[in-house]
Amino acid sequence: MTIPTQPPDFDALGDEAFRAAVRTFLAGHHPRHLRNPAKRLHWDEARDWYLILASHGWLAPSWPRRYGGMGLSASKQLIYVDEFERFGAARLPDHGIILLGPLLIRHGSEEQKSHFLPKILSGEHIWCQGYSEPNAGSDLASLRTEAVLDGEEWVINGQKTWTTLAQDANWIFLLVRTAKGGKKQEGISFLLAPMDSPGITVRPILNIHRHDEFCEVFFDNVRVPKGNLVGEINRGWSMAKALLGFERIFLGSPRQSAHALARLKHLARHLGVWDDPVFCDRYTQLALDLADHNALFETFADRLRRGESLGPDVSLLKIHQSELFQRITDTMMEIAAEHAGLLDPIDGDRDLDPAGLFLTARAATIYGGSSEVQRNILAKSVLGLPS
Amino acid sequence: MSIDADRLENIRMIRDSAQAIAKRGDLRRARDWRDRSPGFDRAVWRSMGDLGWIGLRVEEADGGSGLGMLEFCALVEELGATLTPEPLIAAVAAVRLLGRNAGSDRLSGGRIVLLAWQERTGSLDPTGGASFAGGRLSGCKRFIPSADGVDEFLVTTESGLVLVPRDAAGLTVERSLGQDGGHLATLHFDGVQGELLPGDAGRVLDEAALATAAYLLGVIEGALALTVDYLKTRRQFDAPIGSFQALQHRVVDLTLQAALTRASVESAAACLDGGAVGAEAQAAVSRAKARASDAAMLVTRQAIQLHGGIGYTDECDVGLYLRKAMVLAPAYGGAALHRRRYAALQSPMDEVVDEP
Repeated sequence: MTIPTQPPDFDALGDEAFRAAVRTFLAGHHPRHLRNPAKRLHWDEARDWYLILASHGWLAPSWPRRYGGMGLSASKQLIYVDEFERFGAARLPDHGIILLGPLLIRHGSEEQKSHFLPKILSGEHIWCQGYSEPNAGSDLASLRTEAVLDGEEWVINGQKTWTTLAQDANWIFLLVRTAKGGKKQEGISFLLAPMDSPGITVRPILNIHRHDEFCEVFFDNVRVPKGNLVGEINRGWSMAKALLGFERIFLGSPRQSAHALARLKHLARHLGVWDDPVFCDRYTQLALDLADHNALFETFADRLRRGESLGPDVSLLKIHQSELFQRITDTMMEIAAEHAGLLDPIDGDRDLDPAGLFLTARAATIYGGSSEVQRNILAKSVLGLPS
Repeated sequence: MSIDADRLENIRMIRDSAQAIAKRGDLRRARDWRDRSPGFDRAVWRSMGDLGWIGLRVEEADGGSGLGMLEFCALVEELGATLTPEPLIAAVAAVRLLGRNAGSDRLSGGRIVLLAWQERTGSLDPTGGASFAGGRLSGCKRFIPSADGVDEFLVTTESGLVLVPRDAAGLTVERSLGQDGGHLATLHFDGVQGELLPGDAGRVLDEAALATAAYLLGVIEGALALTVDYLKTRRQFDAPIGSFQALQHRVVDLTLQAALTRASVESAAACLDGGAVGAEAQAAVSRAKARASDAAMLVTRQAIQLHGGIGYTDECDVGLYLRKAMVLAPAYGGAALHRRRYAALQSPMDEVVDEP
């Protein structure tokens, strides 16, 4: 596997030329059978697509070019994600690319950057994220997995959960408690650990589809070198939180709902309910909600294009998108009637899978900060309501 | 659609200039003119003329300011936030249709002309109700706001436009009181003499519908601001009621509707300013008006509930917002009508939704 030494200079292209280039790239290179996958792909299924992106220098849109990324402007990153989502490109095991890479680039040492970044791009290191714990979900800062310095090594004990695709990963980045007492956010550090370390046990969890999408990860006296700490000790919380700045807009991307609405339309045609005025009114309402969501998304995207940063009000996008996605799939369930109770897609057509999409939609209002937590944030940070 | 920095600055300046007449948080004028003829202040109307608001949508060559829908919507939103009673939307529509015939007296606010387009509820067709034959106008037009205090009506018919003075022989003005303390008129034309002017009201009606959505956006913001303030100050159970999560989440949902309404109105205005015509423009307007009408009723209803007992009193300003929304949510087509029109237009959204 070779990484191109000189990735193409995308900045030289205008936005619309870049959009065309992304479309051409996807049409020419994306494996056909991986389009719009019903489930999150495991590494063995996604590897080919990962390496195709890597070999063309298309894997890391947000990373600067000197680290092998595409070095895209905010405007072009929005186009990149928009076109990938519109195409139905398969989501990669992308925690190294999206989360760890940018954090290392900002806070990692030179050695960490030169050691880890190329291995993310080559697919040699597949990363998973160890943040949530059984008793630290919405209240993440109360996490208890701890790391204690013993000579030249950190000794980690505790448990992580909802660790997406941990069974496929060979490295984990995790938030650990390194100080007790005081403000709970201020005793958290950011550590890197190989998944084959003695003392790590991975136990897959079946999600509501009965798919092993995420895992529990147990740490029993796991020892990693002192140098695996990223940034300063006890500063992991603010590092991890700052990272979710720009990316939070993508949790509110209209594409998930747009995809679902297209499926609803397809289903309505198949079931012959398009003449039902009650259904038509419901459909129009959903189409209007999506169109207005697009408009709202664009107002946030405009801020990024103008070089502004996003405020806490971006939570509005996540709430509306995820709840709209659910309302669309609710309508699918209603028109699918008895089909909604069947396990397999209608007539074996995987684009006619109301029950599958309905179940998938359950997660959208939970991950990335539940709708309730987002509303708490908006009430306090945007409206200034008292605690 | 991205708006460039110069345009944003212009829009900001228009909002600022609106504060001279419509200062956010000040509802005294709105309250004073309730149930009092003609329901608005002709001196303020003059000031609006001086500020160039009446001719905002008239071409510069015809004596107007030639500004776009983004500017018009920003201005009207400020008027909505303060429940400004002057009938600017119906006047802007009339002078825009008059174009080069608008004349400086009307544009400066000396003479007030309003559009009279509507035959009945549930229709956006401006051609019905009144007909023009043999130099005479007959029939009727309904739901004209603040008709008591104006000088002329520009009446739409199948054959074209007819300009009718309020005191014309054969015109009877029948007024009904409105929920907002204003009044709405039915005009009965019994062989009123007039002259036919060319003009197609279709596009102007869409602009008026969008401007009404912008006014409702202001209503939403005004009601929401009062409510958030109230939640911060009202104490029960030894705590500000705004600290209760059930109320916080509800007001966040209203804030989301306000944000969607703003995005919808501004994107529709940008769409019209970008040169969209026909189905694309109509779909954008219908989307914005459907959102604004529903959201304004939702937010103002909930604003009453979140205020509790005081919200049900005449003394509390929040009720003024609800009763304005009751008049304007259905004006120029309510939410159901615009949803139906959007569906019938097979909006461009359908293409966006289809997979490539």
